[in-house]
Order: sequence, then structure tokens, then C-alpha cells
Amino acid sequence: MSKRLDRIFSQPAKGKTRLIAYLMAGDPTPETTLRRLKGLADYGVDVLELGVPFSDPIADGPVIQSAGERALKGGMTLVKTLEIVREFRVLHETPVLLMSYLNPLLRYGWGKFVKDAVEAGVDGLILPDLPWKEGTNLRTETKRLVGTQLSFIPIVAQTSQEEDLLELSIGSQGFIYVLSRNGITGGEAEISAKVTGFINGLKQHTQLPRCVGFGIQTAKQVHCLAEYCDGVIIGSAIVRQFSELDKKELSELELRKGETEILEWVAEINSIK
Amino acid sequence: MTTSSIDPVMKIEGRTAGRFGDFGGAYVPEILVPALRELAKAYESAQKDEAFQLEFKDLLQNYVGRPSLFYHAERLSKHLGGAEIYLKREDLNHTGAHKINNTLGQILLAKRMGKSRIIAETGAGQHGVATATACALFGLKCVIYMGEEDIRRQHLNVLRMRLLGAEVCSVTIGSRTLKDAINEAMRDWVAHVEDTFYCFGTAAGPHPYPTIVRDFQTIIGEETRRQALKELGRLPDTLIACVGGGSNAIGFFYPFIEDQGVKLIGVEAGGKGDAIGEHASTLTLGDPGVLHGSYSYLLQDDDGQIMMTHSVSAGLDYPGVGAEHSYLKEIGRAEYVRVSDIEAVRATQILCQTEGILPALESAHAIAHAVKLAPHYGPSHVIVVNLSGRGDKDVETLEEYMERGEYHE
Repeated sequence: MSKRLDRIFSQPAKGKTRLIAYLMAGDPTPETTLRRLKGLADYGVDVLELGVPFSDPIADGPVIQSAGERALKGGMTLVKTLEIVREFRVLHETPVLLMSYLNPLLRYGWGKFVKDAVEAGVDGLILPDLPWKEGTNLRTETKRLVGTQLSFIPIVAQTSQEEDLLELSIGSQGFIYVLSRNGITGGEAEISAKVTGFINGLKQHTQLPRCVGFGIQTAKQVHCLAEYCDGVIIGSAIVRQFSELDKKELSELELRKGETEILEWVAEINSIK
Repeated sequence: MTTSSIDPVMKIEGRTAGRFGDFGGAYVPEILVPALRELAKAYESAQKDEAFQLEFKDLLQNYVGRPSLFYHAERLSKHLGGAEIYLKREDLNHTGAHKINNTLGQILLAKRMGKSRIIAETGAGQHGVATATACALFGLKCVIYMGEEDIRRQHLNVLRMRLLGAEVCSVTIGSRTLKDAINEAMRDWVAHVEDTFYCFGTAAGPHPYPTIVRDFQTIIGEETRRQALKELGRLPDTLIACVGGGSNAIGFFYPFIEDQGVKLIGVEAGGKGDAIGEHASTLTLGDPGVLHGSYSYLLQDDDGQIMMTHSVSAGLDYPGVGAEHSYLKEIGRAEYVRVSDIEAVRATQILCQTEGILPALESAHAIAHAVKLAPHYGPSHVIVVNLSGRGDKDVETLEEYMERGEYHE
């Protein structure tokens, strides 16, 4: 896996656990996304997940769907998304993962994409419409082109069966993205004994760190999950707060103040002072 | 089209389950992988189960009213002055289109798998009506996703679904048509995968749907073949069917694929022009990509975003297409052409006035191509058009055209 990503999981967590935060690239503008990425990194977020907007996001709930629509309306593209990462990398070492549906990447050309992504400073990929067993060719080709600089982050659902987990334990890198529940992004997850049991059970199949996402929005959930896994992913809850801020007619000063409050909230739910 | 438009990384070595050449596959969220595998297994065992096959055949015969007629459209043929035209009358099926063949098959599968809740997407509403019908017949809970725009233009079918006891969910995001209805149905499935069966309406989508839908629709082609041999003493020369997702066309074509002498023509929606958003000509104007779980031709922009589409017929208004059609195009076995909104509306009028048959606007695209083609041949050439549905649902749309004076030549 990339050195930046490796470092995060080989060191102890700064807060209760490792926090992975999601933003949609270009929502509402690339400049805003860049500023907020930097802010999240400065406020102790361990890994950044940057969404590439797509017209047909079948795995996303209303919050991220709307964020993608806003980004596309503003003319956001994959090229501009990579540009954000490139600029972020000038001063920041926080690992960045791209979360993208397959089609924009295929259209760009897979070979060109992986080279450009690594060059821009992307550390890994989360591909919600590429199940592990369909990805063999893509992973082989990626490895051939850029070695292990670009990690494929596997997604594990509670519906996943023995045979899926076995396949996934071969050749996966970075960490495992564990879904807190069946469904799409957003909403609220209940951290039940069934969920924590499932997260624990994954240890039999993989040595990789396990990070849990989907429906995480409170400090209580983060603290509870911290005991069972290696990191927590927060997406819709952050995107929603920023978008509510963007809806208001604010002066530049008020906007920055609102952003700082959200960043403080992010740090707080992971008990980072 | 050149093969170079397929990204080398999407090339598949050898034959793999769920692939049609390089096309197909199952590009879905990981949550759905076990559900699709379970479906593929259940389908495989149902295929070998004689009781299942008998129950399906019995429903087709005694509930749908099969075999559907193989009708010689003599007045139409004479009017066009060329090839002899026959119509495969899927419009006479119970519920008025070919869709019921597939939904009955899939609902039997759902029952076999012990699923209690059925979801489906619909464009023109024909698949929604057929699914609601099959659910009523078997006493299953039914939820239909339909784009807001389609609800407006196919509102008779919405009333029918509600009468049949289905819940119709209006999809108000994206283009508010079939594509977005599929997105929403997939999101529902991801959230309720344990008790829910997704009754997919067309030959697109992730494996195993393209195979299941094709197989349940193959009855169209099988009957056509038998009826042609009996009535004409030979196979037809040309088959024409409309292609949105492509279920009626693939069911119609499939039993003839090995018969190299039979020309297969799929007709796409040419809409009102070639510009972005004016048509739904996926195979004729698109490029390969991934949408709704499958690698197939798509209408997309330079950034890989799915394009807006337009067609007068809701059932063809879709930016993707079944993977097997992409394959048939790639190997040159089938030809894909386009017909405009106006040509389809005019073909509707011609068929109404020469034969007293009101075709669905989808099927009218296939008729329109026959209208163009027939004069180029003599009476020894036999064209069979799959009349996939009836047009009662479209009378309001047709009225709009009549009022705008765009109806007549």
C-alpha cells in the first residue's frame, strides 16, 4: 500500500480511533473542496475520501446524490478532481482515496487514470460498483502500471459470504471498508451486537485494518465502534452540514466561521482536542 | 464502431458466465453479490426442474394466451408494395405486451426463492403493469419505481398498476425516466436484499438478469420460428424489433442467431435529432461503458457521465442497452438502426389505417423501419416485425402530435 496510508495504520490513533472523512469533489466548487480538505486534515482527520461525481450513483443516498448533482452542475470532472488532489499534496501528507463509480474512470482510460492519480497524490480507490471478483483485470493492470502505490480498498457487507471474504483476503491492501448495515450511504446506523460481532469475525479472514462506514454521525457511534475496529468513516453527516452552510447567504467571514464549527465537530466526535 | 473503443482492461479471456464476449458482467455494490449469486443458482435449478417449466408453460398458455398470433399484414404489405410483412402479435398477450412473459417467469422464481416482496422499475409502464399483474396473481407485495416524467406521459398504466394493488413510487431525481427508476429500484434492493426480489424488466442489468430475461422472452422467437415453418414452409428473411433495453428483440432474435440467412435488425429511438439529449440511440451512437451493473454500450459524454435521452416512447427512452445486443453488434450478427419520433408516429397511423391495429409507440419504431425497408424488396422477401405491445397507453401522446399537426405526412 502507499507509504502515506501505511503510516496511518501502523501508528496508534490520534483520537478514539482513526477518522476517515468524505467530501464530494466540486461541491459546491473545487476551491471550496480544497479548502475543506485542508481543514479536515488540519483538524486531525486521518484519511480523506474524495468523491468523483457521477450522474447515476446507485449506492448513494439523497445527501451524496445531491452533492454529486451540485458538483456536476458546477462543471466538475475527473480531471478537476485530480487537480484538487495535486494542490492538496503541496502541503499535506494526509492520505487521499478517490471514491468513484467505474464509468468516469473507464472513459478517462484506465491506464492513463491510474498513472495520473498516482502522480497527483492519490493513495487508493474505493469503487462502489466494482465488486471484488469483477476487479481482477483492473487490479492486475494497476499493479503492472504503478505497483502498490494505489490501493484497492475492498468493501465488505454483512451479506458477504465465506467465499467472498476468502477471495478478498487475497491481494487487498490498505484497509477493509466494512458496511455498518445493508443499504445506501446516509441515514443512521444502529451499532448492534450483530454488527460488532460481524466486525470481530472478520479478523479470521484478514489481517487488514477494518474501518466501518455508512450511517455514522454521532460521537456515541464513533466511541462504541472504536472498541471493535481500526477506523470510522463519516460521509453524509459531514456533506450535509457543509451543504446546509452553503445554502445560507453568508459573508465570507461567516462562512469560514461556520466551516470551523463543522471542523471542530469532526475533531470532537473523535475526541481530538 | 471499432473494437478499439473497448478499454483493453475490460477484455475478457475465454468464455465466462454472465458475459457476452467482453460485454455483461455484474458491476454492482458488494452487498448485492450474494443476492445475484443466489438468483443465478435458483434460476439454474429452476431450468432443470420439470415442474417449474410446466408451471411456466401452463401460465403462458392459459393466462397470457400464448401462442401469440403470427399475422400476415396483407393490406400493409400491399400498401408498401414490396416485401410481405408478418406481425408477431405480442400486443395480444394479457396486459398488452411481451413484458408479461418475463414477469411471470421471474415471479415464479421469486416464489421458489421464498421472497415476499417484489420491486420493479418501469418506463412505459408495461413492465410495471406486468409485474403488478403477476404479483396480484400470486398474492405478493409489489412496489414499482417509475420516473415522474413517465408517470405523466403513461398515466393510464399508473392507474392500472394501482388498481392491481401495487405501490407506485415516483422518482423525482435525475432525468425522471427509466434510468432513474432503475437507480432507485437498485437502492431499494441494496437496503432490503434479504426479503426482496428485484423483478428486472429488460435484458440489461447485472448477470444473471440478461440471461434470465432473454430466456423467458425466447418464447417469442421460438413460436415465430415454428409458425413461419408451418405457414410459409421456410424461415423468414428479416426480423425487425425495437430496442430500448432490448428484451423483446433478444427474445425474438435468439432462436434465429445460428440461422445466418435470417437478417436481424434492432430499431432504436432516433428521437428528434443527433444532439445530446435528443435521442436514445445507444448502439448506433454510443460507446461501451458501465451502467446499471453491466458493461455494454451507453450514451455518455466525454467525462463518462450518462447522457440525457429523449424518445416519444417511454419504453425506449434509456441510455443503456442489454449486453447481448452489444455483442451481436460487435460480431456483426445483428444490425442496429434508428427511427425518429415522427417516423414512429407516422408508422402508428399507417398500421392503424391499413390493418386496424394500434401499436405501442415502442413497437411503432420497428414498424417504421419495415415501412422504409419493404419497398426495396419483392414479395418473395418475408419480413417479420415483432409487435411487442399495443398502443392504448399512448393515445394521449399521439393526441399531442395530432394537435401540433405533426401527425400527417
